Amino acid sequence: MKQILLITDGCSNVGLSPIVAAAHANSEGISVNVVGVLDHGDVGELGASEIEEIARAGGGLSRMVNMRQLSQTVQMMTRKTVVQTIQIAVQKELKQVLGNGSIEALPPDKRAEVVRVIDELGETSGLQVALIIDASASMKPKLAAVEEAIRDLMLSLQARQGKSEISVFHFPGSRNGDDCVMDLNWTDHLNGVQAIFPKLQMGGTTPTGPAIMHVIDFYRQGVYGRQSRDETDGMMSGYVV
Amino acid sequence: MATSFKIDLRRGMVVTGKWKQGRYRIEKLLGEGANGKVYLVQRDRNWFALKVGSDAVDLQSEINVLQSIAKQKKQGQETFLFDVDDLYGPDGKEYPFYIMRYVLGTTLADYLKQQGAEWFPLVGLNLLGKLAKLHHAGWVFGDLKVENVLVADYGHVELVDYGGVTAVGKGIRQFTEIYDRGYWNGGSRSADAKYDLFSFGVLCIQLHEPKRLHGLTTELLPQNRSVEELMQVAESSQGLRPIAGWLRKAFGGEFHDAGDASAAWRLLMHRSDTHRTSGIPGWLKGLVAVSAVLLGTSVYWLVRNML
Ligand SMILES: Nc1ncnc2c1ncn2[C@@H]1O[C@H](COP(=O)(O)OP(=O)(O)OP(=O)(O)O)[C@@H](O)[C@H]1O
Repeated sequence: MKQILLITDGCSNVGLSPIVAAAHANSEGISVNVVGVLDHGDVGELGASEIEEIARAGGGLSRMVNMRQLSQTVQMMTRKTVVQTIQIAVQKELKQVLGNGSIEALPPDKRAEVVRVIDELGETSGLQVALIIDASASMKPKLAAVEEAIRDLMLSLQARQGKSEISVFHFPGSRNGDDCVMDLNWTDHLNGVQAIFPKLQMGGTTPTGPAIMHVIDFYRQGVYGRQSRDETDGMMSGYVV
Repeated sequence: MATSFKIDLRRGMVVTGKWKQGRYRIEKLLGEGANGKVYLVQRDRNWFALKVGSDAVDLQSEINVLQSIAKQKKQGQETFLFDVDDLYGPDGKEYPFYIMRYVLGTTLADYLKQQGAEWFPLVGLNLLGKLAKLHHAGWVFGDLKVENVLVADYGHVELVDYGGVTAVGKGIRQFTEIYDRGYWNGGSRSADAKYDLFSFGVLCIQLHEPKRLHGLTTELLPQNRSVEELMQVAESSQGLRPIAGWLRKAFGGEFHDAGDASAAWRLLMHRSDTHRTSGIPGWLKGLVAVSAVLLGTSVYWLVRNML
């Protein structure tokens, strides 16, 4: 399973629309979750609706939170999206077997069985989460909380039974007009990582869309994601109600 | 994410299960949380608690846990889960629900406020006993916190909200930050008996020093949260000092499971200083001394008069 988690506090302002980029991700089998970090209760009307739409286009969830809730939100969203991804796959399977895709419509004992499978797959299948961090100037005071949330997410993922990895990116790049820079390649632990964002020069523009495209490319290069997806599908088709 | 959960069942309404046609009369709302609402209901003159959920998959996975636990129950133990079905809400939509035993009781914090802190050692022991049973069957409670512990008369304890219950070895399904071992840099989020004992330790601090515990969560940088900080609060608290050694073991994962931990707790209870905080007030001790003297003199006079 592949996820992108975007943490931002406002509106994109250069390059490809982030909504288009998120739709691209979704068609590649990557769910896009978005967390909007509030200062004192405002990201602006525009920011809020963009955040919601990115998630909708990306087949993921969106949430507006203040910094104190960041860790718990990131953790919950990731977990929820895992279940949702599997649920969608299971529903497709159910449709073939029953001609009806809804888990809610199943009688209680069948539903119990299906949910047991969802829970089991949710715990054991491979998971990759690429975090994309908005590092525009206004985010600067929030980066400590973001880093904490990333460490906290790693801790939760390490408790899963399936292989779980994260990678971290920020945008915009500090020089040469880079859209997006990788801070951390795929890893399943943060031991020894002193600071995820060492000496960031906070840029002024917010190229959210191009950054998402950059990470989709990064996913394409990896083989691991593809393999784990096939595994999940294989397990799914072996399941009969 | 369960964002808005609108179902609202009113007193006097009768809901009928879609699959098994069980009929339940709504009496009142008992509580609500992230995953649903809990109502007091009546069926054939018996009281039950009905939990209705917003997300069929979430609620079902909680029900699955309850059903597995029910299967492991030994004979003679009280039933907890009675019925599982779907209902039609006032909005015409279907909602999943389950029926459980109605637990008559108050939340832990309220109980101690009303009945007095001297009940704490016994309630703690009973709670450890509940956890021990769960651990023995291969489960970890997960989301242990004051709100999820109901206490009935004479310190009888019942756990509610099985949404966090996790099979040993898996990732904890649901937790609350301040009770979480990972939050305090005290270990992983994998389900093991020691995870619950860690939360139990935080719960003890929450009961005695809620303000100072909350203070730690706002003052400390994430990397500085530690068992040591928790222990400093415990050691400088009058109510917690007697159990500080026990707490250190719980935080350090030194108890094998809740059975082990409750044996150690029991030993503490029979030491006099555990009870001292709520013990005999000074003036009462004075009274006892006075009456002893009085008794002594009256015995003296009695004996003298007999002679
Ligand atoms: N069996 C019961 N008997 C009496 N009261 C109950 C029972 N079950 C739950 N309650 C009350 O309802 C409240 C909410 O229930 P519960 O915690 O199960 O809901 P939840 O949606 O899972 O909440 P959370 O957000 O904490 O996960 C409890 O705190 C408790 O006060």
